[in-house]
Amino acid sequence: MTAALELRHVSKSFGRFHAVQDLSLSVPAGSVYGFLGPNGAGKTTTLRMILGMLSPDSGELSVLGSPSAMSVRNRVGYLPEEKGLYFKMTATSVIAYFATLKGLSSARANQRARELLGRYGLGAFADKKVETLSKGMGQKVQVLASIAHDPELVLFDEPFSGLDPVNQEVLEEILIDLKARGCTILFSTHVMSHAERLCDRLIILGGGRGLFEGTVAEARSLLPIRITLETAEASPLLGILPGVRSMEAHSSNRWRLELEPGASASAVLESCFERSLRLRRFDVQDPDLHEVFVHLVGPSARETALR
Amino acid sequence: MRNALLIAVREFLDNTQTRGFWFGILLVPLLWLVASQVPLILARKGTPTRHVALIDTTAGERLFDVVLDQLKTAESRRELFHFREWAASRLKPGQALPAVDKQPQAWSRLQKDLGPLMKADAGQFAPPAPLNRLVALPSELQWRGDLSEFEGRLRDWMRAGRLFKPVGVDEEVPLFAVAILQDGLTSNAPPILRFWSVNQADTQLQDRLVDALSRNFRSREYSRLGMDPSSIARVEGSQAQLMSFNPRKAEGEEQVGVADLLRQWAPSAFVYLLWIAVFSISQMLLNSLIEERSNRILEVLLSSVTPLELMTGKLVGVAAVGAVMTLGWIGSLVLMTFWTLHTAGAAAMAADSIAHRLPLELATLLLDSWLLPAFVLYFLLGYLFYAAVILALGSTCNNLKEAQNFTGVIALLMMVPLVSIAFIPKDPNGPVATVLSWIPPYTPFVMMNRVAANPPLREVIGTLVLLLLSDVAVLWGCARIFRTAVLRTGQPASLVQLARWVLGRD
Repeated sequence: MTAALELRHVSKSFGRFHAVQDLSLSVPAGSVYGFLGPNGAGKTTTLRMILGMLSPDSGELSVLGSPSAMSVRNRVGYLPEEKGLYFKMTATSVIAYFATLKGLSSARANQRARELLGRYGLGAFADKKVETLSKGMGQKVQVLASIAHDPELVLFDEPFSGLDPVNQEVLEEILIDLKARGCTILFSTHVMSHAERLCDRLIILGGGRGLFEGTVAEARSLLPIRITLETAEASPLLGILPGVRSMEAHSSNRWRLELEPGASASAVLESCFERSLRLRRFDVQDPDLHEVFVHLVGPSARETALR
Repeated sequence: MRNALLIAVREFLDNTQTRGFWFGILLVPLLWLVASQVPLILARKGTPTRHVALIDTTAGERLFDVVLDQLKTAESRRELFHFREWAASRLKPGQALPAVDKQPQAWSRLQKDLGPLMKADAGQFAPPAPLNRLVALPSELQWRGDLSEFEGRLRDWMRAGRLFKPVGVDEEVPLFAVAILQDGLTSNAPPILRFWSVNQADTQLQDRLVDALSRNFRSREYSRLGMDPSSIARVEGSQAQLMSFNPRKAEGEEQVGVADLLRQWAPSAFVYLLWIAVFSISQMLLNSLIEERSNRILEVLLSSVTPLELMTGKLVGVAAVGAVMTLGWIGSLVLMTFWTLHTAGAAAMAADSIAHRLPLELATLLLDSWLLPAFVLYFLLGYLFYAAVILALGSTCNNLKEAQNFTGVIALLMMVPLVSIAFIPKDPNGPVATVLSWIPPYTPFVMMNRVAANPPLREVIGTLVLLLLSDVAVLWGCARIFRTAVLRTGQPASLVQLARWVLGRD
């Protein structure tokens, strides 16, 4: 699969502060790509470099096959982290205005704006001024403004922040629709459940560096599988179960096991049956992305937060 | 280029679609209208008739008649003025109002004489209500021979704000004033006027009375001293005649008239207009930039347009706003000039006072001189200079409060041309004007002010070229600052940092 976006060994410093260091990533065309990292990890700087607002000190970029996003800017959509709109303009005119800046004709931009507002539940507010909309509505308007020109690549910086659960679902719907259309989506978030649900691939940044890049499953495999196991009677045989890295006894017949990387829970279950253990409970806990994230960036993020 | 244009259009609509903008445009001609029409309306309508009582306690020559004569003459003159206004607007086309003497009752004779010049439907002239009407005091204020006793009663009566019905008047009216005429302290001293009125702000009546009494006293004294009062009045009334000439004017037309004075001072009005326009639209530009910055719209914009496109769009859009604003002002000034011409009657004006000729002279001046082209040129060049600086500095600030530190300094610098408005026309080619002309931020204002004085051509071209070069340099430097600063957050930049950005060292 070709890459819609590629970064190769990109670095950017501001004075003595290294915002991004030797960052490489590849976003396959048509995929949803998660951009995870704590505050100050270099996400916004990276997005600005991708958009051509900042130029990298070293390294190379390829955005939709071009070395600079500026030359393909009409094919790219962008939603910044801090949201803002022209308060005195109507929802339709503000979406249409940003779409015309991306090359659409005025008539087509207006038509697109009304179409999108209608499709995502804001039809009744199409001619209302932005200042009269709620914060969530305003944010939806801004999301729509960033996609009204049918971009091939969209970059969303924290699109879910500030949205209530219902509007978060609407935004997920927008992302799913975009993906169905073949659009490549890169979005940054702090909410791991969104990344888990939506992303095909993701990168976790920490201190300006890429700490992990891969699929959600690959990320999860970074941490061991845990099993809570309870037997009908006390059993000394547990120690010889395959693939178990560590075992913590909670009582004489209840244990918490941590498997070796790559070991499977079904092998452990099979082994239990082979040993005729009478199981009362066999509870497998896959590590979630939240744990992986904390595991990878926890120490440095905590340091940054306390500094 | 398309994006810069889109930004310009949005900027223009954003600023012009507010009520405040159109109110601001309307306010200037409205003030002009009020300033020019209110005195005329007041003269026409006048204040309501004031009821005045006169008490003559003088022992020698009775002064009552002197005062009465004076009041009558003043009323006749006022009637004459109203008659002339009435007649001027009813003349047949192409006819002019002949010069008339200002003798009392002249209007009634004039009306008959003017018959052939007037339109058929001219109708009859109705004299206005008198300004001051002499009335007898009410019975409770009768004079009993004792001044202090009378004034005691008068004070209480007037203080109570009472109304009364004078003889010959159908309604109850307040007593505007009581004038008590008293002999001077010695036999040869001028008389004393004791003027009682709750309105001490309008001194027209008391001045008139004092004037009549003084003239009467002087005339009496001249006679007593064996001098002929009429000869003295003639001698005193004579005055040296002033004829002013300007050697720059064409041969035979050197004499200086209203048009020349207007030509000399009109540029100052334009400088003022220029100053207000540049100052107010620079503020607009700053507000819009700070709004976009604090709302984080800039980041979205910059994902679609280059900083240079953004800056160009904003400069062009706001310049268009300024153009509409100043065109609105100048246009309404011209329209109102013609309206005044139309309503007052051109024929009447040609023969009438300087004040009435002003609009015509102004219209001629606007259409036949370099004022308007110079205004457009200096508006654009001056605006570009200040707007670029404002945009660059504004791009380094996160909110209006931070920006005000910079704009305060700019406003201070801009005070210089404002102060110079008054003194440059007096010495338009003098050393101060010349030096200020060569300082680019002041060139538009100072040169605009010197337009009428035909400054040396080399200065006009030299300062213009310098201003153009400065505009280019400032735009270039400011674009570099804008490009770097516009996405930055945190503290506003220091001067050193700004310099580094201009030089591309950061």
